[in-house]
Amino acid sequence: MKQYIWKRVLTGALVVLFSVLFNFVLMRLAPGDPTRLLAGKENPNPATILALQERYGLNKPIMVQFVLYIKQLLHGDFGFSYVSNRPVLTIIGERFGATILLAVVGLIIEITVGILLGVHAAQHQGSKFDTILNGISYFFDSTPAFWLGLMIILLFSSTLHLLPTSGMYNVRENYQGFRRVLDVGYHMILPTLTMVVLNIPYYFRITRSSVMETMNEDYIMTLRSTGMPEKQIFRKYVLRNALLPIITVVGITMAYMITGVAFIEIVFAWPGMGRLMLNSITTRDYPVLSGIYLLLSISVAVMMIVVDVVYAYADPRIRYED
Amino acid sequence: MSLLEVKDVSITYQMPNKSVYAVQNVNLTLNEQESVGIVGESGSGKSTLAMGILRLLPSNAKITGEALLHGEDIFKMSDKRLREVRWVNMSVVFQKAMNAMSPVHKIGLQMLDIYKVHYPDTPDAEIKTKIIELFKIVNLPPRVYDSYPHELSGGMMQRVAIALSLIFQPEMLIMDEATTALDVVTQSQILDEIMDLEKNMNIARIMITHDVSVVASTCKRVVVMYAGQMMEDGDVTDVLVKPKHPYTKGLLNSFPSFSGEKTELRGIPGNLPDLSILAKGCVFADRCPYAKEKCFNEKPELKTIAGNWHTACHYPLGEEDNA
Amino acid sequence: MKKLKDFLKRAWSIPQMRIGLILLALLILMAIFAPVLAPHDPYYLYDERLHAPCAEFPLGTDGVGHCVLSQIIYGSRTSLTIGVIAASISAVIGTTVGGVAGFFGGKTDKVLNEVMNVFLMIPSFFLILLIVAIYGSSMLNVMIIIGLTSWVGNARLMRAQAISLKQRTFIRSAEAMGESKSSILWKHIIPNGIFPIIANTTMNISGAILSEAGLAFIGLGDPNIISWGQIIDAGKKYLPKCWWITSFSGLAVVFTVLAFYLIGDGLTKVLTPKMTQQK
Repeated sequence: MKQYIWKRVLTGALVVLFSVLFNFVLMRLAPGDPTRLLAGKENPNPATILALQERYGLNKPIMVQFVLYIKQLLHGDFGFSYVSNRPVLTIIGERFGATILLAVVGLIIEITVGILLGVHAAQHQGSKFDTILNGISYFFDSTPAFWLGLMIILLFSSTLHLLPTSGMYNVRENYQGFRRVLDVGYHMILPTLTMVVLNIPYYFRITRSSVMETMNEDYIMTLRSTGMPEKQIFRKYVLRNALLPIITVVGITMAYMITGVAFIEIVFAWPGMGRLMLNSITTRDYPVLSGIYLLLSISVAVMMIVVDVVYAYADPRIRYED
Repeated sequence: MSLLEVKDVSITYQMPNKSVYAVQNVNLTLNEQESVGIVGESGSGKSTLAMGILRLLPSNAKITGEALLHGEDIFKMSDKRLREVRWVNMSVVFQKAMNAMSPVHKIGLQMLDIYKVHYPDTPDAEIKTKIIELFKIVNLPPRVYDSYPHELSGGMMQRVAIALSLIFQPEMLIMDEATTALDVVTQSQILDEIMDLEKNMNIARIMITHDVSVVASTCKRVVVMYAGQMMEDGDVTDVLVKPKHPYTKGLLNSFPSFSGEKTELRGIPGNLPDLSILAKGCVFADRCPYAKEKCFNEKPELKTIAGNWHTACHYPLGEEDNA
Repeated sequence: MKKLKDFLKRAWSIPQMRIGLILLALLILMAIFAPVLAPHDPYYLYDERLHAPCAEFPLGTDGVGHCVLSQIIYGSRTSLTIGVIAASISAVIGTTVGGVAGFFGGKTDKVLNEVMNVFLMIPSFFLILLIVAIYGSSMLNVMIIIGLTSWVGNARLMRAQAISLKQRTFIRSAEAMGESKSSILWKHIIPNGIFPIIANTTMNISGAILSEAGLAFIGLGDPNIISWGQIIDAGKKYLPKCWWITSFSGLAVVFTVLAFYLIGDGLTKVLTPKMTQQK
């Protein structure tokens, strides 16, 4: 068990290291002079160049530069946005909350609904409910998030004039206190709806097939032959076994939740990291982009380790493995 | 009255575009404390028959005929009645013991749950004592109670499955290839233990296997099945000593492997016929070295050789002169 | 030959496979006969800008006067090319890495397996985005980068295949007869274990098409080609009034992705026939 966790931690550390390396290599080996990339201008003035060379040790050997880079990262120095000249970490920090809010609310809804639908469909295989949901799930699996977002905007707010289509709160009124909370909730409806509609099919299908598979297991047959009522078999034995693998799936989506909502943020002008990413692309603000990428890698690695540990505790087969 | 009377049972799987006749017109009687072996290759319908008697077949399987347990038709039991009968009157040990119990629940807990299905008011401590006693009988240490299935070996899990099946001392025990996955030594150990237990607990047993030697050493009577039909049945001392049916003879000549079932038997070239096509004559005719024209055109009925010894062959062996 | 026929028959009997194949056939025809099918030159700027669908422009025109239908028809070429090439790159890398890891085993496997674990955890879409943002968004770049970041699934499948195949008698006898390891890998292991890779590659095509559309939507598409993602992006600012630009191009993406997705899923089903009755 301990060994298992250490192994996962090691993999996680490797992931972060690789991401740092990728980042470094990408920025330094980019076509043209790295100062150009770091300054974000075609022809930075000599003073900027000197400052950058000093700062990143660009005139030193590449290995020294790498060590320097890691040192800076360890000190929480992710560089400076050249657009606003503020620390990358500060800029990302400002956007983090909005992204997490949207992602977590969406995640809770989609996981709950997806699993409930999946369990129900598995219990009624081949029913109309099952067939229709299956068909729908294929469709939404093939739909790009940004397009569905646009279509939902088209339908709900532009045609029906019902809900706000952009932003996180009403800028003009700028409510405070509890009204602010309500206002944010109101603005969240459409982005959350888009996210939830897109991701429910995923949980639905995984739950459905996992439950179906479990119901065909030999041990379920044994329990059935002992005269145990179906309800008890299902609640206690089928669900526990079937939902185990779903822990991993939930964990993986949680790890990627920041990327998961990026497109939705863009479409709905939600002031989160996805929006920040788009702006940075438009302005070619590479330090910010690479900062987002690094933070994302770290959070994915950490989440994956957490998921594996949780899973190991939930599944006795791993718990006792050495 | 017999403990179990299987009368003219047929089981057909309804597939989207065809019907598979898995079991056809099987008759079988099991008296109290008796042991009957059902032998045949895989696909002979022996397991389907057992699952049918236990009412554990998927919903696309259609069963006709009767299976009378003390005169009460299992196929006509209400769900409630069926649940009462299950495990108390008849229990089963499946082949894949490693998979016989939920991998994420402790073995003791599962057995406790099963016990409570029929006796919900028994205190946990009492059940636990009983289960550990059972473990002792099948040569398992008490620690198994708090173990997970993956922590035990195949042989141990097999013993757990047997202990589980004996928890209510049922009148009838069905063992579906229950020792097939084990090595020879463990297999014979467990078989010996089972026969001892039967004597002490008054249990009748149906033993489903492809291994004739297992039947020969542990059963009083035997039913030989092929392609869903009965070929021959009678006392082990008759059927397995001087077989009347060419298929039984072929089965005896073959050497089944210890680890798994063979699809082709030595001395009987060919494979099982397509079970979705009803043969006009004898199902075994295609592979039978003694087959004559009549065998291909006319289906042989089960006929009595002597006492409870029957065979479904137009030209039983050893009676060639009659032909 | 009979095996192939059986396989096709089984595949055709799966409904989602049938729908997927029909969709795909239509799509390929559309890409091949684009010049014949398109009513207008997709690059030509007509005077009628933001024109609603009419007889002349069945799906309307966009903000600069492109015929949307013609653009969508030509866009199928981009999506198909990117999807197929990117997925092929990932198939080749994945098969090789997975095959080597599974077949050679030991330390090689340990190292490669760890590499796979790491790659699996790397947020690939963001990596793609970063690379394209820095190195430029030519179609070639996009294809290669998607291919280079999506091979892990294939590698894991191939590794599992290789591990199970190397136990089989025909591999062992080839080994005993002195055939070299790499020759066994390429001649026996990979050809015999390729089927799951094919199914997965079909799914990867969907993924690559979605990735490309996503990149184009955030302005990282190849400006020199017509791509559905770019049409969606271009139409975005004219919503809700000029809904046709974004709606139809998006539907094109959905149905294309759906086609590959259905086929991939169907292939997986053919590969693992459900065991409804075991005995």
